[in-house]
Amino acid sequence: MSERLHRLAAIVRADFFVRFRRPSTVVVFLLLSACAYLWVPAPSTGRALIVIAGSRAIYNSAAIGMATAMLGTIFVGLFGFYVVSNAIRRDVQSRCGYVIASTTMRGSEYVAGKFLGNVVFLTVFMSGFMLTSMIMVIVRGEAPLQPLVFAWQYLLLVPPSIVFVSALAITFESMPLLRGKFGDVLYFFLWAVCLGLVGSLAEKGNVPPAARWFDFSGFAFAFETITRIAGTTSMSIGASGFDRGKPPILFNGLQLANEWILPRIGATLMPMLLLFVARAFFHRFDPARIRAVAQKSQWKFLGWLNALAKPIARLLTAIFPASNAVAADARTAIADLPLIAPAMIGFAIASLASNDVMPIAFAAVAIAIADIASREKRAGTLAFVYAAPRLRERFVLWKFLSAVLVATIFLALPLIRFILTRPSMAIAIVVGIIFVCAAATALGVISANPKTFIVAFLTFWYLVVNSKGATPALDFAGFYGIATPMVIASYAAAALAFLVLAHAYHVSELRRRW
Amino acid sequence: MPHASLPCNIPPRPAYLAFMLRIDSVSKRFKSGNFGVRDLSLNVSGGVLGLLGPNGAGKTTLMQMIATVTKPTTGRLFFRDIDIVANPDALRPRLGYLPQDFGVYDNLTAVEFLTYFASLKGVRGKSKVQEMLETVNLHHVANRAVGGFSGGMKQRLGIAQALINDPDLVIVDEPTAGLDPEERVRFRNVLSDLGMGRLVILSTHIVSDVESIATEIAILRGGALIAFASPEQLMREAEGSVWEVVLPSDKFDEVRRTMHVSGAVRKTDGVHARIVSPTQPASHATHAEPSLEDAFLFVMSYQTDATNRAVA
Repeated sequence: MSERLHRLAAIVRADFFVRFRRPSTVVVFLLLSACAYLWVPAPSTGRALIVIAGSRAIYNSAAIGMATAMLGTIFVGLFGFYVVSNAIRRDVQSRCGYVIASTTMRGSEYVAGKFLGNVVFLTVFMSGFMLTSMIMVIVRGEAPLQPLVFAWQYLLLVPPSIVFVSALAITFESMPLLRGKFGDVLYFFLWAVCLGLVGSLAEKGNVPPAARWFDFSGFAFAFETITRIAGTTSMSIGASGFDRGKPPILFNGLQLANEWILPRIGATLMPMLLLFVARAFFHRFDPARIRAVAQKSQWKFLGWLNALAKPIARLLTAIFPASNAVAADARTAIADLPLIAPAMIGFAIASLASNDVMPIAFAAVAIAIADIASREKRAGTLAFVYAAPRLRERFVLWKFLSAVLVATIFLALPLIRFILTRPSMAIAIVVGIIFVCAAATALGVISANPKTFIVAFLTFWYLVVNSKGATPALDFAGFYGIATPMVIASYAAAALAFLVLAHAYHVSELRRRW
Repeated sequence: MPHASLPCNIPPRPAYLAFMLRIDSVSKRFKSGNFGVRDLSLNVSGGVLGLLGPNGAGKTTLMQMIATVTKPTTGRLFFRDIDIVANPDALRPRLGYLPQDFGVYDNLTAVEFLTYFASLKGVRGKSKVQEMLETVNLHHVANRAVGGFSGGMKQRLGIAQALINDPDLVIVDEPTAGLDPEERVRFRNVLSDLGMGRLVILSTHIVSDVESIATEIAILRGGALIAFASPEQLMREAEGSVWEVVLPSDKFDEVRRTMHVSGAVRKTDGVHARIVSPTQPASHATHAEPSLEDAFLFVMSYQTDATNRAVA
């Protein structure tokens, strides 16, 4: 093996072990497997995995393989990015990067190695998921397991998304503006927009040839193929209701039509072009470049806006009592990102005019409070906080109340309006605030980073917004006015469960480490 | 032995003794306009070079430039007469570098961690990894995840990765920070042994870390070199400027405000203070033998001219 290949293999191997041995990897894998179980309901429930023009598809290897592969691409596209997007940051934070920079390794080798590390990790993860999904054929199948047919569906759908996400994660990490929280949020919306575009193209049943090359999720390919096979655009994939009066149909899986061969190969290879962008921006751990980039991104963009917002933030936080721990923490959250202050005022005014702004306001609240529960751990100031009276024992409650305070100030005006005009809706909003804050606290305490909550909440938020008020169970804060008392009570119970879970984890951490 | 760069009163160096490292008018200016290092020149052959200076003196920046992690804004660096700014790969295979606050990948075992860095440095074979683990006394925990290691064990693992390619130049930045006294002594001994046959550059702001092992000391302040000499030469320079005096407690506070106190012990008859001053600080003050700590304080306090001045 040449010197360069040897080094590439070393990076891939190390990255793989570092990620694969994390307990969170096991948790995510189990959760994804559980999703696969729910994704493939028993037909006796009146719901089925694939429904085409009202008829359910028989559960064979092709049908379950294709549907779980699509679930896999959703996972790779959404969560995979966040799982693999810390490869360079880890080397900066641990300072192993400085040692790497003092070796003969080229910057291009490092970028390629990290990219391959991402690809290998996601591929192994998805292979594991595929194997566990095969069990669904044994559990729910109506035909014998055909491993090759099953695997073929994965091969047709998943590789482009793995390559795309792996390359994009490295590119985002290399680019100064995109490597932080802003990049994390931007990626989510990029993913949502891409999925929306693919969906609208697929609805027409015929994807323009040029667009096929950019079908990284494989959804356009899947929908067009099914449309061609079934002769209808009326289809749903996932647990959907079907017409029991119609006979089940046999679905033999996705086949690669001639016009899709090159686009699928292109969609797999094209994202690698992003690596040239990543290489161009990669700092090769030069401290001067890292420092300059931090200063530049801070001052030229968010820093400039934050500086403008600071006087408003100061004015807003002046109302908090200085001696109260909750108020002090909330003040820190706002002082850390002064942009919150004008955003609060903006949303408050806008919400007086229309209820439509409420979902966006909740998304902004979520981003604003995401840091609160994990701030100390990441900054290494946990010991200072634990030395303060009672904060060690009541850490979870403290963080939760601090998040509630920030969120309440954010939503104060609409809340007051609803209390005066529609008290029932105000209760739902209060429960929504408590639910979001409890989730932020629990996920922040457990994962020790804000990313977990941001991704989880935005995914949930995406489902809520896309339901457009059609599903009462998703109206978590009552802004669509369809949340039943049962739904409101369920979210309150979920909030309590989050807090209990977070506190239990915190107590076990205290016993283990403190 | 290391030698000062332009010492007018040092005899010419024999031609057959080439410098291992030459630093020629190197400056590092950041985008903010601040200088990390300013017009610094230094020539060194071998042994242990201690870089001393307060926080922000430019020690880390200088080491990062020597380690080819960052490039100087102006000036040149030569390793065995090869310009390593233009051609960093000439040095990199012969370099071992342990950065400040070195971290580890928690989920890897010690063997995997070292194997990783061995591969990056082009070192093959498991025997070298095993040998290094034995050198730093971690062979008994070779297959344990390094996330559970103590600070001292992590530092030893750090030095193992720095040495795995058998380097001629070893750069260690604040290696004893956060270590307990026993680990510090052990680490010092490891570094002292390394100085045989190679050049070790060790930065610290703790004088006692280099006192017993450095063959030469460079003192930096504000990015500039203010002294470069052997420990003995530095101490000789401070001779006559170190005083011992017993002061009443109330007087001591005033003395501490106006003079450079390098040590003080409270006893029943008053405070026994060591004062660094070119002039006698009190009528009953007596001369004391300078320690390296005193010499460092003397240089930091009274050496004002001196970019690249050699104490000789």
